[in-house]
Amino acid sequence: MTVTYRAELLPPALVAERPLLSISGVSKRYGAVRALTDVALELYPREVLGVVGESGSGKSTLLRLLNLQEDPDAGSYSLELPAYQGANLFSLGRFAKRELRVQHIGIVYQNPYQGLRMNNTSSGNVAERLVVAGERSFARLRQAARSSLAASEFPLERMDAPPLELSGGMQQRVQLAKAIALQPALLLLDEPTTGLDVSVQALVIDTLRRLRRELGIAMLVVSHDLGVIRTLSDRVVVMRHGRMVEMGLVDQVLEDPQHPYTQQLVHAKL
Amino acid sequence: MAYVAARGGEQAIQEAERLYHELLGGLSPERVRAVQEALPYLLDRVMGEASLYAPELAALALAQTGGELYEAVLLLRAFRTTQPRLGYAEVIEQDRVLTLRRISAAFKDLPGGQVLGPTLDYSHRVLRLEVVKDGSTAREAAAAAPMPAPSHYPALAAWQREAGLLPPHTLDVTPAEEIPDLTREPLLFPAPRAHQLQGLARGDTGGILTLGYADMRGYGLTHPTINEMRLGEAEVILTHPGTGAAFSAGRVRVSQAEIVTTFAGSNETPQLKLGFAATLGWNEVKVIAAAMLELNMRSPEAHPAHTAEFVLYHTEPVEASGFCIHYKLPHYVTFQSSLEAMRRVREPQSAEVER
Amino acid sequence: MTVAQLAQPWQDHSYAFLDESAKRELRRKTLKAIALPGYQVPYASREVPIARGWGTGGLQVTLSLVGPDDVVKVIDQGADDSVNAANLRRFVARMTGVKTTTDALAATLIQSRHRIPEEVLRAEQALILQVPDPEPLREVEPDISVARQMHADADYGLSWLLLYEQLVRYRRIIQGDSYPALVHGRYVMSPSPIPRWDLPKLHHSAHLTLLSAGREKRLYAVPPYTEVRPLEFDDVPYRVEDQRAFACFRTGVRNKFLNELPQGDGSSRYELSDSGYAEKLLRGDLAGPTYFDSEGKFYHDGYLQG
Repeated sequence: MTVTYRAELLPPALVAERPLLSISGVSKRYGAVRALTDVALELYPREVLGVVGESGSGKSTLLRLLNLQEDPDAGSYSLELPAYQGANLFSLGRFAKRELRVQHIGIVYQNPYQGLRMNNTSSGNVAERLVVAGERSFARLRQAARSSLAASEFPLERMDAPPLELSGGMQQRVQLAKAIALQPALLLLDEPTTGLDVSVQALVIDTLRRLRRELGIAMLVVSHDLGVIRTLSDRVVVMRHGRMVEMGLVDQVLEDPQHPYTQQLVHAKL
Repeated sequence: MAYVAARGGEQAIQEAERLYHELLGGLSPERVRAVQEALPYLLDRVMGEASLYAPELAALALAQTGGELYEAVLLLRAFRTTQPRLGYAEVIEQDRVLTLRRISAAFKDLPGGQVLGPTLDYSHRVLRLEVVKDGSTAREAAAAAPMPAPSHYPALAAWQREAGLLPPHTLDVTPAEEIPDLTREPLLFPAPRAHQLQGLARGDTGGILTLGYADMRGYGLTHPTINEMRLGEAEVILTHPGTGAAFSAGRVRVSQAEIVTTFAGSNETPQLKLGFAATLGWNEVKVIAAAMLELNMRSPEAHPAHTAEFVLYHTEPVEASGFCIHYKLPHYVTFQSSLEAMRRVREPQSAEVER
Repeated sequence: MTVAQLAQPWQDHSYAFLDESAKRELRRKTLKAIALPGYQVPYASREVPIARGWGTGGLQVTLSLVGPDDVVKVIDQGADDSVNAANLRRFVARMTGVKTTTDALAATLIQSRHRIPEEVLRAEQALILQVPDPEPLREVEPDISVARQMHADADYGLSWLLLYEQLVRYRRIIQGDSYPALVHGRYVMSPSPIPRWDLPKLHHSAHLTLLSAGREKRLYAVPPYTEVRPLEFDDVPYRVEDQRAFACFRTGVRNKFLNELPQGDGSSRYELSDSGYAEKLLRGDLAGPTYFDSEGKFYHDGYLQG
């Protein structure tokens, strides 16, 4: 079944749908360090999957692999998109990976310096993505940058300020605007609220929830903060030392953790 | 009168060149000889940067340009381009080089000893005014030592390798014709070590000093020690194309330096890290600074003085000086284009787009 | 046995100064450049008796191509009698004995710094442009290894971003000379510091254009009849310099590129930058068809608007 992703509200579908994203057997090591071992998961359209773990759990590595920035040592990765059906994305060539990253995957990094050109305009950061995807009208670039920034609840009177001059929360919003500019099917978020003031965190989470409702994007949120995971996610995966230890509906896992490590996490944090 | 307008551009440049030489006075064999005899260290610097060992030609280049160093180096390099390759000299190890000066800051004494050789290092830097006032040319002759200094010295680095302080070293046996040659190939990055060493050997002394100094002052995380510095005369050994016999075509002055830093390698077994540079002619400032740069070009930090690309591009004397002075060329077309763009922006009604 | 006996008999210099191996390398690299329009081919730039930055790249290409039957024109800022052009022309003539000319249509090889002549060049002619910086991405990416990767990936987002931000800041494109252009739909090149006025002349030209940077050691090419389009937004058309209000004070001509000459009373006079063309007009000789006609209209349906 070919699934098309549009920015309208689709009627709720059962889990009998095919997953949007699926990975299996993914392993990665850096020298002697095993960052990921045999990771498998699925993400369904319009779903939010939380990935929780402490530092060293492999969650950032997972995100880099899902963003096709690096190759694993083993494993396969597929996205349910026309033109990519049945393909293992890890084995695609450089150009194809870049094309996927530009058109179909949005990413928000924990450190805005990684995701933004700090000395260019905020609107330019969003426009660059569109122009790389082929948009050649200045008026449309301007309009699209405005609407993406507005959707991320970024104050438009500062749209031409460079991110360097903005607060942490605003920088995250520029990243978000850039990530959703082409209405990708998949949004990856790495610790989107870590380091922000608590009040700002709440606002960013609200924006994410609104975006998910209005744009129907599937999201994968990595965080060590169980509160954020609980508020945003439908399902959650718990990771430890590069392995998945537990997965399930977020309420179930957080209320009734089965694995001792999850229990430890939950009782320590909540 | 515009220096570009009207006829006579050709005449103007010819007259300009003639005027330069007229102000210099005559160029004569005597003047060239005087330069050659009186200024050996300047000759060495110029020959090193030109990567052409030819003292008489270096003296000619300096006399011809009135001592304008960058012009002299360009003259020699341009001449070098026209010369055919006859062959390749044999590789020579440092313990086979006739060495006239050899010091190490790493140890008080070492096999072969510390030999100052000819140096002003410990002199009082006082101008000898009596020479120009009284015409006094008296100087003290150097006394012969009770025992002559050795003419060859073992490498300190060999001792350090034996002791496990330096990692083991495999001799590079690449045949001469296959050694990458910076004068015949484009410099691309990551550059092979041969290109890096050649680039430093022919680098601008001032430029290498500047970047080396930045390293020494603390942009590098290194506390450098001079392992060894040597001034010597290397034999140029060629192979007779007919008989196959080896013969010496003469000796050239060479200088080299090794810099070491401690605590390189793993945390459990730290070692020394060694940087090396050499050049034609005797040029101590250059080889010491260049050895620093060579050592640091292998480290991953992003500082410009550590990056091979930054160092090798910007210490190229002919390119740097040429580009610098090229700004004297007329640029009025590009200037006009920019002016026009600026003037349009100052007319607010001529905007192309809405914000 | 002496070294002198081993060597060849001494010659002042080879034909065209460069030795055969240097010429061979340059020609091979030139062919490669023509086969990959807009792609920067690295080459081992030789030192020649002209300072770096003063045209050694263009000179080496000229020297590798010139033969006894060629006719060579050398210009700087459009002028034959510019001191630098005069110097380069003198060197080429000295090293080859070749004929030189100031007539753009009589030359077989034209070496030029920063201008393309006003008269339309023909298929048998080659234009060699002197390039100070071959890398169009330099302004946005100073590291040349990274820039090389960007070209390989056709990743030109940053170039577009530069133009976008000019529009945001100044409400106009302010890029003057060296306007980045997409060649054959694949590589973005710097056309060398020619004014915007001259860039359209490269699009679908009958002549071959070679661009060479001696100091940076890269050469690239625009073969005849190749697409060369400046990076432009669909709704912000490419504009050449607007000198419509001015005329050359010597020839009266309009709609050709003019030099501005400040006057003592605070005003400006203007004169034709292309001195060879001006010479023809002043002598009453027949000039060829020009890229821009007397109304400023371009000679073919390129992409220039209004």
